[in-house]
Amino acid sequence: MGQDALIFKNVSAGYKQRRVLDSVSFTVREGEFVSLIGPNGCGKSTLLKTAAALLKPLSGTVELFGRDVQHIKPAIRASMLGVVPQKIDSPMAFTVSQIVMNGRISSMGRWGTPSSLDHDLVERSMIYTDVLDLRDRFFTELSGGEQQRVALAMVLAQEPKIIMLDESISHLDINHRQEVLQILMKLNREKRMTILLVSHDLTLSAGISDRFLLMEAGTLAKAGTPAEVLEPELLSRVYNCDLTVQQDPYTGYLQVSGAMDSLRRRKKLERSVHVIAGGGSGIELYRRLLIEGYEVTTGVLNRLDSDAEAARALNIPAVLEQPFSPVGAAAIAKAMEMIMSADAVVLSQVPFGSGNLVNLQLAEAAIQRGKMVLLAAGIGERDYTEGKAAVDFAARLKRDGALNWNSIHELMAQLQQQPHY
Amino acid sequence: MGMKGSPICADNNFTGKGKMRARLRIALFLVIFPLLLALSLLLGPSGIGIPDLQSPSGSAILSLRFSRLLMGMMTGAALSASGVVFQALLRNPLAEPYVLGVSGGAGLGATLTILAGSGVLSTLGLPVVAFVSAVLTLMVVYGIASQGSSGQPSVYSLILSGVIVSSICSSIVMFLVSTASVEGMHNVIWWMLGSLQPVTASQQFLSAVLIFTGLGGIWLLSPQLNALALGREMAHYQGLRADFIIVIGLLFATLLAATAVSLSGMIGFVGLIVPHVMRAMFGPDHRKLVPLAALGGGTFLVLCDAVARTLLAPVEIPVGVVTALAGGPFFLIILQRRMKQAWIA
Repeated sequence: MGQDALIFKNVSAGYKQRRVLDSVSFTVREGEFVSLIGPNGCGKSTLLKTAAALLKPLSGTVELFGRDVQHIKPAIRASMLGVVPQKIDSPMAFTVSQIVMNGRISSMGRWGTPSSLDHDLVERSMIYTDVLDLRDRFFTELSGGEQQRVALAMVLAQEPKIIMLDESISHLDINHRQEVLQILMKLNREKRMTILLVSHDLTLSAGISDRFLLMEAGTLAKAGTPAEVLEPELLSRVYNCDLTVQQDPYTGYLQVSGAMDSLRRRKKLERSVHVIAGGGSGIELYRRLLIEGYEVTTGVLNRLDSDAEAARALNIPAVLEQPFSPVGAAAIAKAMEMIMSADAVVLSQVPFGSGNLVNLQLAEAAIQRGKMVLLAAGIGERDYTEGKAAVDFAARLKRDGALNWNSIHELMAQLQQQPHY
Repeated sequence: MGMKGSPICADNNFTGKGKMRARLRIALFLVIFPLLLALSLLLGPSGIGIPDLQSPSGSAILSLRFSRLLMGMMTGAALSASGVVFQALLRNPLAEPYVLGVSGGAGLGATLTILAGSGVLSTLGLPVVAFVSAVLTLMVVYGIASQGSSGQPSVYSLILSGVIVSSICSSIVMFLVSTASVEGMHNVIWWMLGSLQPVTASQQFLSAVLIFTGLGGIWLLSPQLNALALGREMAHYQGLRADFIIVIGLLFATLLAATAVSLSGMIGFVGLIVPHVMRAMFGPDHRKLVPLAALGGGTFLVLCDAVARTLLAPVEIPVGVVTALAGGPFFLIILQRRMKQAWIA
């Protein structure tokens, strides 16, 4: 890493009536790829505007390459720092190449006549961002994503040392988002261009950034490597919702995902369902039951099962057992406890083998204690136990009053008819 | 990256064709407008054609027609170029000298001067008073619009307060006219209707200096006007002193509009429509648009004046009537065919 490219020293900024940034301090070094993250309205855009001297700090100083940004001549500042805003629009019928040429405005002479260097830079930027084909189209007629790429081309033509992007890639389709990020990474690696990216895609940013700046209500909540900043508790506090962070086992990338908790809060039925699932057969059940407003519990599940992952992500209480080992007495007792506090037990289309046969025993215990039990039809095709033990269980369950369900739609209808216990 | 061979080749061809066509249009315009100006010299209440230059009355007629040509060129160029600047800086297709109260303020200043009496003040002072009162009006409008916003006023609050201040100015003018003497009332109303009756040579000279200053200043700003089309914020990021340029641009545009008002009264339409038509024909690049709009606006007004003084001769129709009546349908057709090139919002 080179010298300090951008320094915020105790910067407070904002507008007459409203202070948006409150004593923010950080340093971005030359050649760094930094993502600026935080919830809507936390001051990310204001921070960018202050960095670019569009807003004057109420107190504190912003330095670009060691100089107070308020005292740098605008044309010089433009050669240091380029900003791609959230959206640009031009009411007049400028063509794409005319728009991109604006990036050269402070380098051109008094009469605004572009040199061959200016033309080359404009062309190169348009090739980089894949908009050369569009150069004679009217800017206003382009799609949002195309306009964003043109805006990026314009700022690249400016040849800044730092480039700041204000959620500029959120309108792009996945192909061009990937491409633009690759361009940014290439510029970052090969030209040591410093990148400050305002991003809402934490997972994507985690894969490409050297560092994260996390903002919370006008202050800097944390700065550090993606792993340091992407702490579930910290993120959940700042974003005011439950977030989970997982590491992709293959790529090692951090993945941030939101839980479904908020959906659950929306409409509480005060009724609970215990789901017996496994092998991914439970995910759709969990989702539908949560959306319908049920309290959901699940288990016993193998700790590595995809249903166990889903339950964790959805904050569903689950009884888990170590893989490749028989279900222990403690797990059985805990699952029984859940079943007893549930109004109904739903069995998914999970295949049964000797390892999870215990779940059918739990279902039998439930129905003997007067619980409603709903059983996915066609258990015969999913019975891998010796001597078709699962089919025998199912027959006994039915005799005791368990209902069969064929589709989730049917299941939901059956649950709704269930009387309140 | 989309470096596919064939589309780029096709594009290059298209670019070539498009640029050729644009250049052809400009060349055609540069040939046609002097012809139209010459045509205007042939029209007048005394008859169509070149007057007999041997007779004293004939040469007097030609020189009168010529000085009306100069008046028309100056006024039309000033109004049209000023409209280009207002539309670019406010990024609004309805912007024009009238909308920010600039013409209204200039009109109020001019009315006061005319009513105040004769002498040096009413001739040489007219452009100066008009400019000063237009700038004062602009400052009031800007000040009102800035209230409550953080620093820079939004375009909408500018236009809104401009419209309000403008109607206040015209109400004051009405009041002054209604309480004025018969002679004063006649002078002001005649001036308000708009006319290219030649003013004194000294006022013409002063106006020419002011208008050339304004046009030159705007032309120098034209690359910055291009950048400001993307908004003040983006222009700032690209290294322009955006607010400074906006203020300077507004001042130049105000100078042009105020001088035009002091020369020829309230002539509508030119400042609003001619910029749109020129943009539709030649594109929005201000380096070309500013001079072309000045020439186009001037030529258009000269032609309208020739029609106004010839059609019902010896009665002269106010030129403002002709600009809208004759120019309206013509420009509507052009705009309808080339609307896409003019303004997309």
